[in-house]
Amino acid sequence: MIVEELVLPVLMVFFMLAAGAYTVAVLDRVIAGALGTPQAGSVWIVPLARGAWLMTQHANATEAPDWRAWRLAPALYLSLAAIGLAVVPWSGSLVATDLATSVVLWGSVEALATVVIFLHGWSANALFALIGGYRYVALGLSYILISMFVLIGVALPAESLQFTQVVASQGELWNLIRQPLGLPLFLIVGLGMTFWGPLNLADSADLAGGTAAEISGPPRLVWDVARAAMLVAFSGVATSAFLGGWLGPWLPGPLWVVIKMLAVLLVLLLLGRLLPRLAPERCVTLMWVVLLPLSFIDLVWAGVGALL
Amino acid sequence: MESMNHGIGVDIAFLLLATLAVVTAWRVFRTDSMVRASFFLLVSFIAVGVIMILLAAEYLGVAMFFMMAVEMTVMALFMVMFMMNPAGLNPMNMVHQERISIGAGVVSFLVLSAMALLAVFPDRPVSAGLDPVRSLGNEMLGDSMLIFESAGLVLLTTMIGVVVLSSHRGRYGAATEGSLPPGLESGGDPAGKPEEDEDGEDGGHHHHHH
Amino acid sequence: MAVNWLRNLASRRSVPVFPVLGVQGDKALRHLTLSPDIELVDSPRHASVLLVAGEIPADRFEPLRRVHDQLPSPFTTLWFRCEPWPHLESVIRVDDLDVLPAALVTAYRELMKGRRESSPRILPDKPPNPWEGEGDFGQGGEGMMGGVPYGRPMAMNMEDDIRDGLTLDSLTFRLGPFFFAFPPGMAAEITLQGDLVQTWKTQLVAYPQSLDPVFFTARERPVPIAELELARARHHLHRLYRGLHLAGLESASLSALRLAQNLSTTSTLDGLHRYLSRSGFFRLAAIKGGVLGPEQARRIGGPAARAAGLDEDLRSDDAGYRRLGFSPVSQAGGDTGARWRQVLAEIDQSLQLARQAERDDMTTSEVDRIETPRGPWLEKRPEDASALLDEILPGQEWGDALATIASLDVAAVAEASLDTQTASEPRITNTLDSEGGRT
Repeated sequence: MIVEELVLPVLMVFFMLAAGAYTVAVLDRVIAGALGTPQAGSVWIVPLARGAWLMTQHANATEAPDWRAWRLAPALYLSLAAIGLAVVPWSGSLVATDLATSVVLWGSVEALATVVIFLHGWSANALFALIGGYRYVALGLSYILISMFVLIGVALPAESLQFTQVVASQGELWNLIRQPLGLPLFLIVGLGMTFWGPLNLADSADLAGGTAAEISGPPRLVWDVARAAMLVAFSGVATSAFLGGWLGPWLPGPLWVVIKMLAVLLVLLLLGRLLPRLAPERCVTLMWVVLLPLSFIDLVWAGVGALL
Repeated sequence: MESMNHGIGVDIAFLLLATLAVVTAWRVFRTDSMVRASFFLLVSFIAVGVIMILLAAEYLGVAMFFMMAVEMTVMALFMVMFMMNPAGLNPMNMVHQERISIGAGVVSFLVLSAMALLAVFPDRPVSAGLDPVRSLGNEMLGDSMLIFESAGLVLLTTMIGVVVLSSHRGRYGAATEGSLPPGLESGGDPAGKPEEDEDGEDGGHHHHHH
Repeated sequence: MAVNWLRNLASRRSVPVFPVLGVQGDKALRHLTLSPDIELVDSPRHASVLLVAGEIPADRFEPLRRVHDQLPSPFTTLWFRCEPWPHLESVIRVDDLDVLPAALVTAYRELMKGRRESSPRILPDKPPNPWEGEGDFGQGGEGMMGGVPYGRPMAMNMEDDIRDGLTLDSLTFRLGPFFFAFPPGMAAEITLQGDLVQTWKTQLVAYPQSLDPVFFTARERPVPIAELELARARHHLHRLYRGLHLAGLESASLSALRLAQNLSTTSTLDGLHRYLSRSGFFRLAAIKGGVLGPEQARRIGGPAARAAGLDEDLRSDDAGYRRLGFSPVSQAGGDTGARWRQVLAEIDQSLQLARQAERDDMTTSEVDRIETPRGPWLEKRPEDASALLDEILPGQEWGDALATIASLDVAAVAEASLDTQTASEPRITNTLDSEGGRT
C-alpha cells in the first residue's frame, strides 16, 4: 500500500522531472544553434558537461546572506515543480495525486513560486539579486489573476476542479478550440511564471543574471534544473488543460501526453529565443490593461459555452 | 476517503503539522528579521492548510496555500521597501508590549485547547462519495452564486481603482499640481498658499554620508 | 575518482569566460563572441576564466582585484595585451588575437583536469566592516536606531520619490568599471529607490574608443568614400550588437556582428531590420525614456543628436558626398527607440553611399571637417559626454537606464594608435554576397 500510494508516484514524478529537465536543456541548445549561436560539442553531452562543471565549482558566499533561505530556495522551487507535475494525469488512471482540487493546487504552486523566487533574490544580500526578486513579484501579481481566470474557464465545461475530469471533458473537442483565447493567454502566463525569454525579468541580462547573479556551484545547478523542471510541469498542466491530455488515437495515453508536452515546450523555448525582453513597466501595463480584460472575456466565453 | 477510522498515519501527520504550526508561529515573534517573520507565518499557515486537507476540507486547505502565499510575499516586499531592519542585521528590539501579548496568547491557547479537548462534538458521519468542492460551494454560496461572483469582480475593480486613485501621478499630471487653486492674478501664486520653508523638507531626516 | 570523472566531463563544455575590458579590449570581446568554444558570461560568479583584455589603467586596479576574487574556485586568469601583475604566479599572457580562443580553451582544460592550479585569492577573506553592537539590545550606537551595521548606513528614504509618491528606502552603491552593460571603463555612483534611478554620478569616464584608421587618414588627405562609409557602418553595427545583446535578442546581435565582420558593398541590412520589427523590438523592449533635449543633443553630437531632431551632419559640407546626393537622416523624439532607428537608418544609408561611391569611385574633398560615427570632428576630436548621463538617467527604471546607456555613444575618441599590434580585427572585404540578417 505504501509502495503503491507513496513510493511509485514519487519515483514517477522525479523520473519525469529529470528526463524533462534534460530534454529542455537539449532542446534549448538545438534551438539556439539553429538560430545562429556558435556552438561546439555534441548537443547531448554538453548539458551533462555543464552540470558536471557546476558540481565541481565552489558554492559562492556573499556577505551576511540569509543562509537557510538562500540554499533552500532552489530546492524549494524544484519541489514546487514536482508538486506541479504530480497533478498532471498521464492517462485515465495514471496520475501521481488525484486531488479533487488539483486546479487550485496548481494555482497555489504558482503563488508559492513567487515566494520562493523572491526569497532566492532577497536572501543573497546582493543588489542585483534583490532587484530581480522585486521585479518578479511585480510580474507575479500581474499574471496570477490571468492564470486563475483562464483555468476557471477550463474547469467550467468539466464541472470539476480535477485535472482528470478536465481532460475527460475534452473528449469531443479540445479546449484549444473550444476556448481560443485560453491557450495563448496561458502560454504567456507560463513564460511569466518560469521567467523565461521575453518575461525573464527576474534573472535578466540587464541585472547580470538577476537572482542567479551571485550563485555558483551546486546551488546554481539545482536552480537551473528547477527552472527547467518548472517549464516541464507547466507544459504538463497546459497539455491537460487545453490539449486534451492523454486523448488521441492509436498511441497509448502517456505517449500522447509526452508528445503534446514536447510541442508546448518547443513553443515556449522558441518564444524565449525569438522575442526581446519586455521592459517591466510595459510588461505590467500589458498584463493589467490588455491581458486581464481578455481573460475576463475568455471566462465569459467559457461560461456561455458551458451553459449552451 | 475513509469516514470514521483513519489510520495511524493521519494521526502522526496531524501531530507533526500541529507542532510545526505552533513552532513556526512562535519563531515569527522571536526572529529579528521581518522578512523571515513573514515567511515563518506562511509556513505556519501552510501547516494549518495541510491539516485542513487531512480533515477532508480539501478546497479550503488548498485555497489557504494559495491566498497566504501571495499575502505573505506582499508583506515581505513591503518590509523590504519601507522598514528599517528587514533582515534583522541590526539587532534592534522589534517587539512591543511583549508581556501582555504573551499573556493573551497563552490564555487563548488554553481556552481553545480546552474547548477542543473537552467539548462533545456531534456524531454525523457524511457519505463516502461526498464531493467536497460541490458541497462546499452549495453550502457557502447556495442560490446567490451569481451575486457572489459579480461581487468578487467588483471588489477587484475597486482595489485596482483605489491604487490608481492614490497614485501621485494622474492622467493630467502630478496630484500636487492639480489640486492647487488658481491664483488671484493670472499666472500668480495659488490663492491661500501658505508660507513655505526654505529647504522644503522636515528636519527629521538624518543624512548619512559615506 | 568520481571527482576526476566529473572534472573530465566538465572539461568538455565551452569555456565560461568573464571578460574584463581594458583600453581597446572590445576587439577581443567581439572576436570571442563568435567563437564556438567560448561562452562569455555577464557575472564573474558564472565564470571559470578571467580574461583581462587590454591595458588596465592604474586607477582601476582595486576593482580588478575585487573582481578577480569574485570568481568561484577553481579559476584561472589570462592576460591579453596587458602586462600581468607581477605578484601573480604562472599567468598566461597572449598577444595574438587569433591564438586567444585556443589559449582560453587550453587554460580551462588544464584547470579542469588538474594540471593547472586554481589561482590564489588576492584580497584577505575578512569582512570589510566587522560589526559589534553596543546598545541595550545589542545594537550599536545611540538610541534604538543608531549604529552603522556592517559599515552601511541604515536604509532610510533619503530622496522624495519621483515616480508615484511611494517613498521607498534609498540604496546608494558604486557600479564598477567592468560592468558588462557599461561602456568599457565607466564607473558610476548610483542611488536607487526600488529599481528607479534617483541620482547618477559618473566616477570614472569610459576609456576613449578607437576609430577605424581611415577616419584619421581622412583628416590628412582625401579617402575613398566607400571605405569611409563601410568603416562607419561597421562601427554602428558593433554598437547595435551590444544593444541587442542587452535586449535579449541573441540571434539578432550575432547577425549584426557577423554582418560587421563580413561587411562589403553588397551587404544589406534588410533581413536584420525585418527581424527586429517583427520581433517587437521597437514596441516591447526598453526603448522609451532617455529623451535628449536640444541643448543636450548638441553637446553629444553625432547620431544621437540626429535622433533628437537636429539635422546636422558634416558630410553635407563635403563636395564628394553632395555629388552622391547625400542628405542627413534624422528622427523625431530623441528617446532610445529613436536612437536605434537612427543607427539602423545610418547603417543603411552608409551601405548605399558605399555602393554608389564604389561604382563612381568618389573620394572625400574636405580634410578638416569629418563626421565620425561618434560625432562631428572639427578642430578637436569628439569628447567624452558622460556628464550627459548624470542628467538624463535619473527618473528611469533600471532596465530603461541601461538601454539608454547602450544607445548613447558617450566615450571620447582616442588618438590614432601607433602600435602596430592593435591593427584592426580581421575582416573579409571581398565582394561575396553576404546577407547578414534573418528572413
